[in-house]
Amino acid sequence: MSTRQLTANSRQSTAHPKTVTMTIDGKAVRVSEGASVLDAARQAGVHIPTLCHHEALEAWGGCRLCVVDVTRQGWDGWCKLVVSCMYAAEDGLIVLTDTDRVKLTRKVVLDLLLARCPETPLIQELASRHGIDRTSYQANPEPTDCILCGLCTRVCDHIGVSAISTVDRGIGKQVAPPFHQAPPDCIGCLACAEICPTSCIPYETSDTRRVIWEKSFEMVRCPQCGRAHITQEQARHYAGRGGVPASYFDTCDACKRRQLASTFTKLQVVQGGAR
Amino acid sequence: MSTEACVDPAALSDILSRYPAAEPSLIQVLQDVHRAYNYLPCDVLVKVAEALDVPLAKVFSVGTFYKAFSLVPQGRTIVRVCTGTACHIRGAGQLLEELERQLDIKAGETTKDMGFTIKTVNCVGACAMAPVVIVGEKYHGAAKPAKVGKMLGQGGGHEN
Amino acid sequence: MRIDSRAAYESFRDEAKAGLAARKKEVLVCCGTGCLANGSAGVAEAFGKELAARGLSVEVGTFTKKTGCHGFCERGPLVVVQPEGILYTQVKPRDVAEICDKTIANGEVIPRLLYKNPADKKKVERYGDVPFYKHQTRIAMRNIGKIDPTDLGDAIAHEAYAGLVRALTELTPEQVIKEVETAGLRGRGGAGFVTARKWKSCRAAHGDRKFVLCNGDEGDPGAFKDRSIMEGDPHSVLEGMVIGAFAVGAHEGFIYVRDEYPLAVVNLTIAMEQARKAGLLGTNILGTGFDFDLRISRGGGAFVCGESSALMRSIEGKVGEPRQKYVHATDKGLFDLPTVLNNVETWADVGAILHRGGAWFASLGTAKSKGTKAFSLVGKVKNTGLIELPMGMTLRQIVYDIGGGILGDRPFKAVQTGGPSGGCVPESLLDLPVDFEKLTEAGSMMGSGGMIVMDDRTCMVDVARYFLKFLSEESCGKCVPCREGLHQMLVMFDALVAGKGSPGDLERIEELAAGMQLGSLCELGKSAPNPVVSTLRYFRPEYEAHIHAQTCPAGMCRDLTAYEIVPEGCDGCHLCFKACPTEAITGEVKKTHLILQEKCISCGACYDVCPTQSIRFFPKHERTVA
Repeated sequence: MSTRQLTANSRQSTAHPKTVTMTIDGKAVRVSEGASVLDAARQAGVHIPTLCHHEALEAWGGCRLCVVDVTRQGWDGWCKLVVSCMYAAEDGLIVLTDTDRVKLTRKVVLDLLLARCPETPLIQELASRHGIDRTSYQANPEPTDCILCGLCTRVCDHIGVSAISTVDRGIGKQVAPPFHQAPPDCIGCLACAEICPTSCIPYETSDTRRVIWEKSFEMVRCPQCGRAHITQEQARHYAGRGGVPASYFDTCDACKRRQLASTFTKLQVVQGGAR
Repeated sequence: MSTEACVDPAALSDILSRYPAAEPSLIQVLQDVHRAYNYLPCDVLVKVAEALDVPLAKVFSVGTFYKAFSLVPQGRTIVRVCTGTACHIRGAGQLLEELERQLDIKAGETTKDMGFTIKTVNCVGACAMAPVVIVGEKYHGAAKPAKVGKMLGQGGGHEN
Repeated sequence: MRIDSRAAYESFRDEAKAGLAARKKEVLVCCGTGCLANGSAGVAEAFGKELAARGLSVEVGTFTKKTGCHGFCERGPLVVVQPEGILYTQVKPRDVAEICDKTIANGEVIPRLLYKNPADKKKVERYGDVPFYKHQTRIAMRNIGKIDPTDLGDAIAHEAYAGLVRALTELTPEQVIKEVETAGLRGRGGAGFVTARKWKSCRAAHGDRKFVLCNGDEGDPGAFKDRSIMEGDPHSVLEGMVIGAFAVGAHEGFIYVRDEYPLAVVNLTIAMEQARKAGLLGTNILGTGFDFDLRISRGGGAFVCGESSALMRSIEGKVGEPRQKYVHATDKGLFDLPTVLNNVETWADVGAILHRGGAWFASLGTAKSKGTKAFSLVGKVKNTGLIELPMGMTLRQIVYDIGGGILGDRPFKAVQTGGPSGGCVPESLLDLPVDFEKLTEAGSMMGSGGMIVMDDRTCMVDVARYFLKFLSEESCGKCVPCREGLHQMLVMFDALVAGKGSPGDLERIEELAAGMQLGSLCELGKSAPNPVVSTLRYFRPEYEAHIHAQTCPAGMCRDLTAYEIVPEGCDGCHLCFKACPTEAITGEVKKTHLILQEKCISCGACYDVCPTQSIRFFPKHERTVA
């Protein structure tokens, strides 16, 4: 695609979002306005490590692993170190993901995380990829797998539940339900456990019961296939948000799809017969 | 949700009536709750969450984030030792040690008879009189370890 | 009554001034937090009683006024008798009757209560002649100590709200911004951002709903100028904020005050009520149709809330976690709406600038740092307290001319400025003119104006460790470099002060510091290594002594220091015996004393009280325990 085509296209389609063009490690990339530098890098196939980022959630900028240097033509070589997940892609931006400052920052961050979580495979692996096999700092005498990336609490907020949050501050910060007791607002959806990059939120789920954050949930069984697919609290929560009766969630998604497919097939048969 | 000793609900409704029922009032309400009850009781936080329509987890998060709040009952007299820079270099550390020795508790703890709680504060802005100890509401400037006993005596309420 | 026009303001002011002029005698009792702690409330009360008993009442023109902080807190309670301007220090309630009989009734001075200048041992009669005050120029603190902060009339008699009157009745918002630009005013909260530029961006920002905020979360330990301004002249803050709101087009504002400053909240609340009643705040201000109102938001005790984005989250009722600021608060601040946030002192300057003109303000100070700056001068200096000086005065002038030199005439070692985000400036830089740029070049920063003077008995490794401990307790914990970095740095420093450092530590510390400066999310984390970096820059040998020789040259690190009594010097005064908290000193009065090494905890209490300097400290590993 030539440059002329690019301009012609963008001028033509005013209904489409505007785009910006920039370079990342020398590669030109065009992304829609509003995209982050991280989005652009992923599109350009440039790898930037992240720990607290998730496409479904608003960028947060806590792990600091995705730092990159940015500069522009007129900046006289002056660079700014930014987190790529939150810095907006701009026309003419020059992004460098491999400068000494970027490498030092990533190394220090991973070295520190390895000290916090010396036994966590994900962190060990990431650190090792950055040349750290042993932390230079004091390893945590009480190893944890929680890296405090905040994904669990943020997804819980996103769903509109906010059953868990961070408590305390500084090095004593942790993720917990209110008063460290079974959270009254939790609906047992497991989103927190599933989004956790180090899988450190324990839960149990069976045909009859689910337990997470020491709270126990009754499961709803699908009348069609008998599978326990959702908690009663989940059904009620979704029903409240979606404006449908909770019974709407009795049938599991798989059976709903099957039902729909069979209705559709029948419809085709009828139509075919008529023709 | 928990079994806590008699908490007077009148004080809470009085506090809530002073602020709009929304999240921006949360810290202000918790300040007043802390003043009225001397700590943040569990049951009260549950009611605050309901009244302000803020998730309980957020209330707990705020209650544990800010240093002004305690989730456990405090002593009748709070002894605050300023550990600001000016106080630090003029001997706040020795003062704190002497207080801890006399009351037989560590900073952040409360005596068994609920008489005193020792807290450290990062600068009360009375640096010119460093080191500073505040017993209850009374400020003691240029405090010396030798005067600790007398300061506690004035604070009252402790029989040791 | 409502002041609903320029003319109404002027007649109100003239009346208030005439009222003041008619006062034959005025007794100003300092009731700032410092003097209150020293018992000034009792002194003020005694004046009321004693004057009444002598028939010296309001009717005959004798007034007692409770003012804000005079600044010279160490000498409190302070009393000034006007119009003569006689300053009495360390006044006790029992001195009041004598002051009434002699000074107020007969104009006689009481030498006993005068300030004695430690430099020449001479007594100083007049307030303005005391060296501590003589070198000062007060703008932000112009009325503190002169007015009763709870009396609007008194404030207006001292030109409060004159700048507001000019702004609202003579100027357009653009002209107001222009005046602040001419003044060259830069943010007094620490970073020194150009105020007019901030206002312009906010004025240009889209949207009808904007906010003006005041940062009264003076969290830097060792700084208390904002507290004194809010307590002693709250109207100066309100006036500045109304002017700022008019300039940017905001109608709502908040003053965020630290939880540790209860008196500031009380005095601000009173001032706001009075200003509202007088039509200087609220709807239709000065009858011009401009509306602006304010609320106070009390902080919950978190240093990080001095950071602008964390402060805004806190006003929103949330946890004070900063947000990445690639979009300025002037576009997306409080509740994601355009917001201007300035420090207390900056707001207090604004009214004076509008009253006396930007050019007047810019005539003071240095090329890039205009006007005056308030500092709290504390630590190991003789005259501690609150001062305001033109930018560009040297540290030497501040420490020696105003501060009167080091306590006990010990050697000067460093001045710490900028709080936990700042650094330590060594003796070699004593002639450094103090402004934003020069302090930054020296590896420190202006910060909120704390100046903590340190002598040879201050260990710089311990000072750096102190700030690390402070910051690790105050880190919000959101980002990895600050949360984990401060924790690990503190672990290393704990080892250093215990003599358990190892070669290579300094390099590891430097790498971690660089990573934190680069990688942290907010200014708290980015600047957290500054005290470490600046002490390493100027006092590296002291670090090396801790690591390689297990000694603390200042004799402050207890694990490395031991004390003994030099028998030749000891005159048996017994003071050390009384000072020792662990009964580690034996000896009878008038006989040579002895420190029992096995009981000694190396606190240094004996060293500090010894009048003959006969206690010496030495490295603990050279100690021989009996």
